[in-house]
Amino acid sequence: MTTEELKKLQIKKSVDARGTACPGPLLEAKKTIGTINPGDIMEILSADEGTKVDVPKWCTKQGHEYLGTIEEGGYYRIYMKKH
Amino acid sequence: METKKLCLALYTGSVDKLTAAGVILGGAAADDMKVDIYVLLQGARAFRKDIGDNADKLQMAEYPDMKEEFLQSLKNLNVKTWVEFFKEAKAITDVKIHICGLAGKVWGGEKLDDFIDLADDICGIGAYITSAQEADVNLFI
Repeated sequence: MTTEELKKLQIKKSVDARGTACPGPLLEAKKTIGTINPGDIMEILSADEGTKVDVPKWCTKQGHEYLGTIEEGGYYRIYMKKH
Repeated sequence: METKKLCLALYTGSVDKLTAAGVILGGAAADDMKVDIYVLLQGARAFRKDIGDNADKLQMAEYPDMKEEFLQSLKNLNVKTWVEFFKEAKAITDVKIHICGLAGKVWGGEKLDDFIDLADDICGIGAYITSAQEADVNLFI
């Protein structure tokens, strides 16, 4: 998805994990994914470089859909859809 | 999705390696792995009730002179203690912690109650070998 498309997504839950280091953002995502429904979109905010690699791989393993990442000033917005 | 198994032989009783084990457990928990941890020799000391995540009583395996700098850096980065990492992983996925009977005795603990409440049971080495044979991922720390 393009950055513009990502920005227009209807976010069901936003996980702000910018205050944590690895594996914090991944675990926050893991905890929150259980609170949304299949088809819902979740956004993860992380300042950890590793998260933008971890989340796409985690989505593949868990059967979710990784939608894309937007690089903001000093952190990332990572989008995924729960399946 | 098939549940993958992680078998961890936790020999270390040092704060740096215990923290590394905690980080790895976090990754395993995110993947819903079934985890069996076998606490061997030096590891059992860290699980004693009077020690746990009391960093003053734990040494560093690497760069021992830089312990304070290491701990301060972890604190600045808002990183959990090793005990908090282990607790969090147990809350998310199936993590069982087995204290080796010999290791317990070496450090003055013979019963489960002698160790922090993370420990699930005291076992023999046969249980570890069986778990290692069945695991998808085997680690020794």
